[in-house]
Amino acid sequence: MIPVRLLRLGSALGALLLAALPLWAQQDTLNRAMTLERRGDPTSALAIYQAVLDDHPAEINALLGAERCLGVLNRGLEMVPVLQAAIVANPNSTVIDALAIRVWGVAEQADSIRRYAERWAQLTPQDESPYREWGGALQNMRDLVGARQAYLLGRERLNSPDALSPELAQLAIRSNDYPTALQEWLKAIHRLPGYRPSAVRTLSQAPDAVRPGLLRTLDLDQSPAARGLSIDLRARWGDPVGAFHRLQASLPPDSAESGDMLRNFLVTVRGINGADARTAQAMTLEALAERRTGVDRARLHLEAAQVYAEAGDRRAARRMLSSLSQDPDAAALQVGATTTLISLLIADGEVDEAARRLEQIKGSLTVDDYQRTRRDLAQGWIRAGALDKAQGVALADSTVEGMALMGRLRLYRGDVAGARALLKDAGPYAGTRAEATDRSSLLALIQVVKGDSLPALGAALLALDRRDSSAAVKGLERVAEDQPASGAAALRVLAGRVEAARGHGAEAERLFRAARVPDAPASAAEAELELGRLMISLNRLPEATEPLEHLIISYPESALVPEARRLLNVARGLVPRT
Amino acid sequence: MNRRRFLRQSSAVLAATWIPTILRTSWRIDAPWLLVPMDDVQTDHLKAYGVAFRVLQRGGRGEWFLNYRGGSFLLPADQLTARDAALAGVRVEPLDDDRLVRIRAEIQQGNMDAIPLEKPPRVAVYVPPNAPPWDDAVTMVLQYAGIDFQKVWDAEVLRRGGLAQCDWLHLHHEDFTGQYSKFYLTYAGAGWLADMVQRNTGMAKTLGFPSVPAEKRAVAQAIAAFVERGGFLFAMCTATETLDLALASEHVDIAAAFADGTPMDPDASAKMDWSKALAFQNARLELSPTLPSFSDIDGHQVNSPLRQPLGAFKLFNFSAKIDPVATMLVQNHRDVIPDFYGLTTSFTRRTLKPGVTVLADEAGAPWVKYIHGERGQGTWTFYGGHDPEDAQHQIGDPPTDLSLFPHSPGYRLILNNVLFPAAKKKELKT
Repeated sequence: MIPVRLLRLGSALGALLLAALPLWAQQDTLNRAMTLERRGDPTSALAIYQAVLDDHPAEINALLGAERCLGVLNRGLEMVPVLQAAIVANPNSTVIDALAIRVWGVAEQADSIRRYAERWAQLTPQDESPYREWGGALQNMRDLVGARQAYLLGRERLNSPDALSPELAQLAIRSNDYPTALQEWLKAIHRLPGYRPSAVRTLSQAPDAVRPGLLRTLDLDQSPAARGLSIDLRARWGDPVGAFHRLQASLPPDSAESGDMLRNFLVTVRGINGADARTAQAMTLEALAERRTGVDRARLHLEAAQVYAEAGDRRAARRMLSSLSQDPDAAALQVGATTTLISLLIADGEVDEAARRLEQIKGSLTVDDYQRTRRDLAQGWIRAGALDKAQGVALADSTVEGMALMGRLRLYRGDVAGARALLKDAGPYAGTRAEATDRSSLLALIQVVKGDSLPALGAALLALDRRDSSAAVKGLERVAEDQPASGAAALRVLAGRVEAARGHGAEAERLFRAARVPDAPASAAEAELELGRLMISLNRLPEATEPLEHLIISYPESALVPEARRLLNVARGLVPRT
Repeated sequence: MNRRRFLRQSSAVLAATWIPTILRTSWRIDAPWLLVPMDDVQTDHLKAYGVAFRVLQRGGRGEWFLNYRGGSFLLPADQLTARDAALAGVRVEPLDDDRLVRIRAEIQQGNMDAIPLEKPPRVAVYVPPNAPPWDDAVTMVLQYAGIDFQKVWDAEVLRRGGLAQCDWLHLHHEDFTGQYSKFYLTYAGAGWLADMVQRNTGMAKTLGFPSVPAEKRAVAQAIAAFVERGGFLFAMCTATETLDLALASEHVDIAAAFADGTPMDPDASAKMDWSKALAFQNARLELSPTLPSFSDIDGHQVNSPLRQPLGAFKLFNFSAKIDPVATMLVQNHRDVIPDFYGLTTSFTRRTLKPGVTVLADEAGAPWVKYIHGERGQGTWTFYGGHDPEDAQHQIGDPPTDLSLFPHSPGYRLILNNVLFPAAKKKELKT
């Protein structure tokens, strides 16, 4: 037999369940409407919201949903009667007041906006929100003066000189009043430092003409907020290194605080392009390293070295690496440090030393990394003229890139046939895009050159790799004299390109013109394209037109035609020169 | 002359004349016609207009096949045209008489029409002297397509008969209210603004006007008179809105104090005479001298708190045989085109005069993008926005290189306008 108390409890639970059922059903209905909204069907969603509001006019979720859907459907004004019913049903809801301000904003009824904002402000007298919504609605009505007055009224009533400062700053930005925006952002940052990124983002759009004035204002203000803003804006306005120096001068003695400031600056400069930004980034990493100890310090020094190297400041990079070498905590980072050092040594021509260092860390590198660095060494030896040493690398490298390296070495020794076979086998895909393009161009050249053994050609191309352009051009011209039309034209085009890159326009022009021979159509098309490009670079635009037109008309199937058309546009002044 | 000598001489003449020609003209086409398709197979839609225009310039004739393969052109297959198309990278298809007959039959049966193109319009672009050539979409596209044009500015417009030398006049981002696009306070100190102010004040003084706004209003009135006399006017960006504001403000001060020394009439909106305007009516003027916005004609208000996001606009489909003018203006290989900002981006429907033909609009939005109308003997076309391929164009942005956008549907609309005056006038049925 069931006890009476248990029965009573069961009845009570049942009654509760029955009472909650409509609420669950309503929630389920609203979820369905939300799903329809997400699926991009605001009309169907609106019908559901309206059905809920018929029974419960002040249901907040249904009201907000109806507002969203009507807005999407460009029928915002239809919210007015819905809203009026909601206010009758629940006259003391601040959420409905906020909604009312937005709805009257769509209806452009400034008086009604004010009425509901004032009502809301009376219900929550210490809250900025009514004034924020009020000003926002007036801004949407293009009434910037009214919006400003609403914000200032809020500030006065709240008796807080920095209240609503982010809103006033944004309003000033929209009115292109950057000095006022700056003052308001400073107040906002004093109140909440998290506003700094927004301040930097909006103020950094200031026109060039007003920037010096803004920086002067910041320099006069000695507050940390002003200093931080000044540093970030200077970094974004083209002086990241100067910004770093200012930051360094303003760092507090407290290590934790200064560390935070440096880290924030690091985030800023990482988002900026250019060598100056990279230098500033490396300097920041170095400064951060000085504030750390142990492995952290060593890791930051290594990163600073790598960034200095990327920025082209090899001296600073070496300085970082040298401090790492004396750092007992850097043991775990020696591989990374040595790899960076090796690239610096190769760039400075100290290839043997680089090779010695590479062997020291060989066991710690993956096979791929080791082979890649070895090929870098080989390139360094080629530049130094030590072909035997480079060949030693190539012989021990069975990768496709190694095969291409061997092909180039064979070519430099004059073995054109061997080079052709190896470069052909290496194919056009391995390595970086630049390497693959370089290899394909070299193969295209030696395929049209007649002869299997041409030491003079090898010497000329080696001179080019060693950046001895003058010797390379002379050598290429000499070889061209003994070649039939196609080989001679191809070599002259290459020599012309080298002369053009050296700024020797007259020599380049002579070589390109000499390569325009009907018996070598592929090279002739290349020569005409290069001649057109050269004439444009020399600002002899009318003279660029003839070779380019000739190329387009005479070699319509050439892959160079689209580029020729583009240059022709430039020569005729049809598009801007970039 | 004996036979052997005759043959030798003939061979020499043939060799001298034909062989080089044959060598040079691998692009020569043995068909009486060239079809310039303007659908997706076209390799350079923009330059195709230039090829058609130059045929007319050389005294040739062509036809515009409205709605046939994106609005194709029929051109004579002479050597110069074929060479011109080859150099421009414009795709042409040789057409014999049989195929042409079949195309004409197809055109006859569908919503298409063939409009003869006879005389190239004399094109003028209203642009200040020394203005950067790459900051105006029309100048850019005319140059890219290789369509010749002359430049005119205030002195030429106001000279008696100054615009008589042109059939088609283009206006771009000129501010005809004389307020320097309302950048005066925002960009104070900028070199380009100082140049603009100096050039305009100098011109107003030279022409005997008390202020720049007064002089610009006179220019606007001269342009309206040009249309009235039968001219074709095409305007983009802020020239559309400010031209009408200048025309409608004949007896009211709508310029800020920095422009003419006196503040704007606070009741200016109510005092405008919209009967003088070409396209708009009942607009509310922006009173703030610092806000680079002129009125609520523009729906997007790019530089104001009311800035609206960009959508896409759709070209209307007109009946080619009944409304050939509107059809010509919307020829395109795309129906829907991404929108782009300008100081004036769009035109609110509320402010359009009755009788204005809407050529393109954004579905569901309270604004339209591209409108056309008549005034007296002439016509005007307004196209909102600054640069169809630089949607967010900012002052100082690098110029648009149209060789990277040879299929730009937004730019095609500009070129439709250039070629439209070349069409032989037909009796319009509407």
